[in-house]
Amino acid sequence: MFEKLEAYLEEISHFISGPEERKEILSEIRSHILEKAEQEFGAVTDVSLDQVITAYGPARRVAEKYLDGRPIIAPALKRFLFRYTALLFAFHFALTVAAVVFVKKSFIFFPILYVPSMGPFEALFYLPTAFLFDFGVVTLVLYLITHGKKEVKLPWPKLSVDLDEAKPSGRTIGRIIGLVVMTTLTGAALYLYARFGTIFLIKLGSGEYRPIFTPDAGQWYSLILIGLWALGTISLALKLVTSSPWIDAVKAGLSLVLLGLVFRQPADTALAGRPSDNFVFWLQLNLTIIVLIICILVAVDFVKALVRIGRRQLAK
Amino acid sequence: MDPETSHFETEMNRGFLHILVLTMLEKDMYGYSMVRTIRDLGYEVEENTLYPLLRRLEKNGWVKSKWDVSEGRPRKFYGITDAGRSLRAELLGIWKKQDEILKYIMEEKSHV
Repeated sequence: MFEKLEAYLEEISHFISGPEERKEILSEIRSHILEKAEQEFGAVTDVSLDQVITAYGPARRVAEKYLDGRPIIAPALKRFLFRYTALLFAFHFALTVAAVVFVKKSFIFFPILYVPSMGPFEALFYLPTAFLFDFGVVTLVLYLITHGKKEVKLPWPKLSVDLDEAKPSGRTIGRIIGLVVMTTLTGAALYLYARFGTIFLIKLGSGEYRPIFTPDAGQWYSLILIGLWALGTISLALKLVTSSPWIDAVKAGLSLVLLGLVFRQPADTALAGRPSDNFVFWLQLNLTIIVLIICILVAVDFVKALVRIGRRQLAK
Repeated sequence: MDPETSHFETEMNRGFLHILVLTMLEKDMYGYSMVRTIRDLGYEVEENTLYPLLRRLEKNGWVKSKWDVSEGRPRKFYGITDAGRSLRAELLGIWKKQDEILKYIMEEKSHV
């Protein structure tokens, strides 16, 4: 029993499926390695085995040669993987928004989808999991098609914005103007925040400035808005030097987190002074709707950026 | 050899190795002896390429195998089948045709 040889064969066995085939392949390799060690080094020893095993190649590479290069998903189906995942996630996303808006409403499409009722903050944590689930479901279907014996003709849904034909958004001059505007806006907001502890102010008739929200809420909402503008500024600056889709993905991801934080502050006690119940209800409803609409737009950008990253990796 | 050429060589070797193995196995041989014979002829074949190739040929019925344990260490001997001989004849025919085409074009070029 040669431990090194057995360990090597054990490693190869992890990559080969089918018990009978695996046993046969491992016997072939064992026989060859022992034979070569004896013929070329005079005896089977740990040293000679070590050299023969090194020459035979890394376990994974050896196993790959037995697998006939059969991929998990046929290369021709990879575009379907991204397109179908994008569509399924769009559907999943719409249901999630509905579950947030119509509180206490769950959606079940057994066994594909289960969208529980949830608040906006939970939804932001639910969506990445939903994306991975959708990706997994589509992968499983394409895996079965790849390994099935029947020829399956898959439909090719056209998207209104075809990601393949999407051109890099914005030109350099536009980006520079945008950068100047965003830098000014972020700078002005920082100045107001440093001076008043909030950026949400109204000017009174006497020329005085009064905060709209309570100090805690004002600070919270101000920091979120400044954070969102700062993200926009940084991403515009980076886009001047690189066209990496990671910029959009990271910006959209962080923006979603910041938007989710809006709901951590209870809106009914956020206003300064003594507002009426009706006004508080109106504010809460509008704030939720506006933030959710922004969330949808940002999430669409997020998915687009992820799909572009996936396609870029695929092209590589 | 630059990587591009090496890539083409690998592609060309794939077909050649099929013909070579099917020709060698007119006499029963085991894997290591095949590697040695091929190497002695001045041609290199990666061991971890030969065994999967033999396996594919066997799966398709062009080669048959049996384990021999008479000499202490088990050895798997391979031999060609009738289907393998037919395939070899076809492959050699294709190779000959390709060779003729190349020769014809090269001769034509030299006359221009």
